[in-house]
Amino acid sequence: MAHANLDAVQVGDQLPGTSFGPITRTMLALYAGASGDHNPAHIDIDFAKRAGLPDVFAHGMLSFGGLAQLVTRWAGLVRLRSFGARFVSMTQVHDLIACTGTVTERFEVDGETRLRINLVAQALDGRQTLLGEAVVAVG
Amino acid sequence: MSDADVAAKPVGLFDRSTKGLALPTVSVEVERGRIRFFAKALGESDPIHSDIAAAHAAGYPDLPAPPSFFMAIEAMADEERARLGQPSLVALLKCDFRRLLHGDESYAYHGLVFAGDALQLDTRIIDFYEKKGGLMEFVTIESSVSHAERGTLITATRTLLHRLG
Repeated sequence: MAHANLDAVQVGDQLPGTSFGPITRTMLALYAGASGDHNPAHIDIDFAKRAGLPDVFAHGMLSFGGLAQLVTRWAGLVRLRSFGARFVSMTQVHDLIACTGTVTERFEVDGETRLRINLVAQALDGRQTLLGEAVVAVG
Repeated sequence: MSDADVAAKPVGLFDRSTKGLALPTVSVEVERGRIRFFAKALGESDPIHSDIAAAHAAGYPDLPAPPSFFMAIEAMADEERARLGQPSLVALLKCDFRRLLHGDESYAYHGLVFAGDALQLDTRIIDFYEKKGGLMEFVTIESSVSHAERGTLITATRTLLHRLG
């Protein structure tokens, strides 16, 4: 896949936005199997109801993976130096998640130019679900 | 139980005696099929994670793992721990899935993980703390993924929490 030329990127630039979902129960079942996170709160509605929840809710790490794709599609996997996120609210079944990123800093580490990117995952109703940060290498 | 016993009872559900515990090093092997399945579950469109020819064309020796594949490495390590008769991380922490949430997760990447890699996972339970007047309790866990020749590939820091309210 072709990636962006990061030499010309400036602080304030936006990454091309992506979205994923709407979240389905099938997606949660597949993610449980693939990731090995078998927490029943994500895949078993009977368990969720016994735990006092109205329904199963999405693995935070499913959205985390979607948010990471925003960065790797733009910069390329090999340029990713760090990636992290806080899970600020639950992602629900049927949520469509929009992922956005903004370049906030250009800096040097060990002779390598890097970009810091602020990341937000947000449901259609405006509810923020993940707040993240990535660092990518330029060049 | 007297009032004094209730007052002295530690807050929360995590087993806080595990603070500082380093779990035994676990070896895991990364299979192509697991990377393909993980990439598919994420809706990953880049063929480098599923198509060997695409991975080679991009200059990789085999299918590279997506950035959040650490979760699968941790799960594989737990399967290996179970085979060895060792408790899983969530069992050691006494996680209660009815109340468990993920607080945050972050990775520093020092190198890529590829299909075929034999990896070692080291995990340490760092600390416990509360927020919101004890309505939430947190545990911080640090892990590193390393390869015999390529050294440390990923360092991971994560926070899990129980809703206690």
